[in-house]
Amino acid sequence: MINLQDLRDTARDLLAKGEARAVIGFRRGSRGMAAEPAFITRPEEADELVWDPTCVHNLALYLVEDRKFLAHNRAAPGLPIAIVAKGCDARAIVVLMQEHYFKREDVYIIGVSCEGTGVVDERKLAVHLNGAVASNAVFDGDDYVFTTVQGEKRLAARDVMADRCLECREPFPREHNAVLGENKTGRELAAPFTALARFETLSATERWTYWERQFDRCIRCFACRSVCPMCFCDECVVDSITFPVTAQTTAEEKANRIRWIERSATRSENITYHMTRAMHLAGRCVDCGECERVCPVNIPLRLLNNKMEREARERFGYEPGASIGGASLVGSFRDEDPGSFIR
Amino acid sequence: MSEQEAYEPRIIAFLCKWCSSAGSDLAGVSRIQYPANATPITVMCTGAISPMYILSAFNKGADGVLVSGCHLGDCHYMEGNYLARRKIHLVKELLEFIGVEPNRFRMSWVSAAEGAKYAQVIKDFVADLKPLGPQEKLSRTKPEAEHL
Repeated sequence: MINLQDLRDTARDLLAKGEARAVIGFRRGSRGMAAEPAFITRPEEADELVWDPTCVHNLALYLVEDRKFLAHNRAAPGLPIAIVAKGCDARAIVVLMQEHYFKREDVYIIGVSCEGTGVVDERKLAVHLNGAVASNAVFDGDDYVFTTVQGEKRLAARDVMADRCLECREPFPREHNAVLGENKTGRELAAPFTALARFETLSATERWTYWERQFDRCIRCFACRSVCPMCFCDECVVDSITFPVTAQTTAEEKANRIRWIERSATRSENITYHMTRAMHLAGRCVDCGECERVCPVNIPLRLLNNKMEREARERFGYEPGASIGGASLVGSFRDEDPGSFIR
Repeated sequence: MSEQEAYEPRIIAFLCKWCSSAGSDLAGVSRIQYPANATPITVMCTGAISPMYILSAFNKGADGVLVSGCHLGDCHYMEGNYLARRKIHLVKELLEFIGVEPNRFRMSWVSAAEGAKYAQVIKDFVADLKPLGPQEKLSRTKPEAEHL
């Protein structure tokens, strides 16, 4: 069990001693029980921090935003920025550092272990609450306890936790400056890649029918891209409106830019967009599941990313977010890489 | 002639400048007969091929995509084809995962001396593609519409 006071004290000390310029964490949000990201710069605000089953966000995204903000203002990082990171968030931070997006000394990682209870999936919870709305959620051993108007409701964490938490291999943030909670790595609620393995039993035709239906629904809102800490490019290859335009850019230049795919939300473009994204995340995706959570039309994006993750793991022995100094998946090779498909 | 017989698959072939591209030249100057379905695009190295090229080719109506480079150990840039092998493997797995026929995407090693092998690779590819018919899954254009 994580003592919330420890988390608040850690944050307060960092700010009071001038060891961090801000703390990124979670606080009570304005929408029911859900926590929201908090950006704390004064020691007295540290008491706003919370840690409960609704702390679902991958806060590594805001390190990227902070880095962009600094670059825009041509400011030096100065003091490190502190961040509350779950196991998956910490892996994301490692990948960002591996890619030299920021330096290790620019970040102070306050690791929080999920201790095998993970975080809640609101869609699953809605089924269990049967129409009631929870106003508060707390961890209690292997259960979550929700407060609703009908009183307290205790649910086993494994029944309402997010799929990615069920399949999580490492709920403990390995890379950290300070860490709260026990290391319960090794516990398995569901074998990793369970959903993927189930999906792969389908035939090629069935798989296509499935994806065709999913991609037909995509509205290209780019929420998956916006929420992903790995999608940090200012200029996105699949989105022509992100191409930079200055006062000097001529109409011809704009017209002649390569548009690999169109922005229209048609099936062919949607497929190419999601496949490109899956390729760009190969060996980088840490399976934080944010893309799937924010998708307004519920496209199971984790399947695509899981597929790449499993290939990297099983064929190339590559684990994303394992080491800061290591080579990237597509920037390295081994002699024994599979090659039997080549003629 | 029935419609099935009239169908000729369109192949986009990404060929390494240092080997497969020269290999295709050799096939030509050696007067080896092989199907004219492949549109060659010369690249500096298979390692320089972005997955975006492959997806985009399918997106713009290719029925099959071939990536061909130097044999392992023969890369002009020492290790480009090793990197390509890994990347192309991922693209291939991803395409098959969403249900694209495995025969639509292929990789081969063809050296500058292997004109006959290049001809054979194209012959085999065309033979494998014909029964599959036009590629409509990733294509933005309808097959009856004008090509590219």
